[in-house]
Parts: sequence; C-alpha cells; structure tokens
Amino acid sequence: MRKMKISTKGRYGLRAMIDLAVNSNGGCASLAGISERQDLSLNYLESIFSYLKRAGLVIGIAGAQGGYMLAKPADEITLYEIMTVLEGDMSVYDKFGPTTKIRSFLNKNVWDVIDKNVNEVLTGTTMADVIKNIENNRLSEDCSAL
Amino acid sequence: MKLSTKSRYALEGMLYMAVYGKDRLLTVKEIAAGTAVSPAYMEQIFFTLKKAGLVSTVRGAKGGFTLGYPENEITVGRIIRAIDGDLVPVSCVANLSSCKSKARSNCISRYVWIRISDAIAKTADKQTLEMLKDQFMKESDGAENEDIH
Repeated sequence: MRKMKISTKGRYGLRAMIDLAVNSNGGCASLAGISERQDLSLNYLESIFSYLKRAGLVIGIAGAQGGYMLAKPADEITLYEIMTVLEGDMSVYDKFGPTTKIRSFLNKNVWDVIDKNVNEVLTGTTMADVIKNIENNRLSEDCSAL
Repeated sequence: MKLSTKSRYALEGMLYMAVYGKDRLLTVKEIAAGTAVSPAYMEQIFFTLKKAGLVSTVRGAKGGFTLGYPENEITVGRIIRAIDGDLVPVSCVANLSSCKSKARSNCISRYVWIRISDAIAKTADKQTLEMLKDQFMKESDGAENEDIH
C-alpha cells in the first residue's frame, strides 16, 4: 500500500545536506566525512551529490582538500528548494479520477490547506534555521549533562 | 509524499455518508456510485473502516452503513490513520526505533520531519466530518440532493 512517505532519496539527501551545512564552516566537507558521521554509504552519497550539484544546490571542489560546499549561504537556502529537488512536488495528493463535487470540495478544503501549511514550513525555514536548531539542542544537552 | 488513494476515498465515502445518509442508511454500492469509486474498492475500504470502528453495519431490508462515532469526533486524521496506519512523512516521527541508522541518537534531520508532520496534523486533526459536512452543505447551497457530480 502506498502511504504518505518521503523517499529514501529525500531522507538521505536532506540529512547529507544538513551535515554538509553544519560541517563545512564556510569551506567544504568531504563525502567520506559525511559518510562516516551519517552512516550513509559513500557510493550512495556520490550519486546523490552529483545530482545535487547538477541541481545547483552544492558546488564540488577538486583537490586533496576538496569536497563539497553549499552553493549559497545557509540563510539563503530554504527547505523548499532542497525538498523539491530531492522529492519533486511536495503536495500530499495527485489530481486523479473523475471530479465529483465531494472530491473537488475535499481538494480545496482539506488537501490544499494541508499543502499550504507544509509549504509555509518549507519556504519559511532556511538551512541556517536548521543549523541553529541543532546547535541549540547540543547546548541544552551539554547543560543537562553537567 | 502522497497520501494513499485508499485514505482519500475513505474520507470521500465517509463525508458522503454524513451528507447523504442522514435519513436512511446507505449501502456501499450507493456510496461508491456517489463518489465515483469502484464498488469493489469501496467495499475493501469500508471493511477496513469497520474494523477500525469508524463505521458499522445494520442488517435488514433497510440495512446499510452508519457512522461509528458522532460526526464531531471523526477527524480527517483519524480516518487516514485507520487506513494508512499513520500520518507522518517519515516513520521515525511516530516511532524512533523504526530508524536503524547508527546516527539515530543524534539525528540532524528528524526535526524537519517533525515540523512537516505537525503542519499536516494541524489541519488533519482539527477538521471533523461535522465541520466538513456543514461547509459542504453551505457551498452546495441546499442543492445537495440533486446533482452530486
């Protein structure tokens, strides 16, 4: 049965992008490093980063100290950009079948409303927000460990 | 990130019941015809809804389906969960142990999935069949017993 789920590409791709944003510190991060921190295979990361590169979300840097960096500052990349590259259309429904009154009513009053709420989160959250949230969590964990 | 067709048809079927099944019980056949879904498929869906207690059957000559709870207690979210099992975009949101990654304990992306999940639930858990029925009747302007298509 098909359920409402984000694909493997979407899940692993976002994790890799966030890891890159956290660990590149203005420079770049190697796929080997991302692979180790995120428990994702190097092969998989290579294919996903060539895709992200073609989509213009990351830039590849050649050389011994090379790797990848975000194509734009973290506060200019929204989750919406990343997720539409990785997942395509983020709507919770496909338009299908003959349109009955009930179906078009529910499209307008339920599914489009959900899509709007999801889009607000995606367009309103940048990579910088995500990084900040991770740092805040680490800080509160460090404090609770004292 | 698409909802199953099954869960969407389930909501259509239940809204159809709420709107058109006020004075008499409806059969799956009627509900299927009214929603333009194949009767066999709607039958499967109502079997699942019945197991979840969201609808029940009344036997007899005038038998058919009736809602298992008051209209204001049946939310969109409840119907989708009865059909799909959950209403989250990534299963770790509902159950962290479903994630087998070594990076699970300090996951950097779960926060995003939780935010998306909350955005979905905000609407799905608020909207009840009663609200949708009232809105539907209002929009169809009292002509709800005539042309349903």
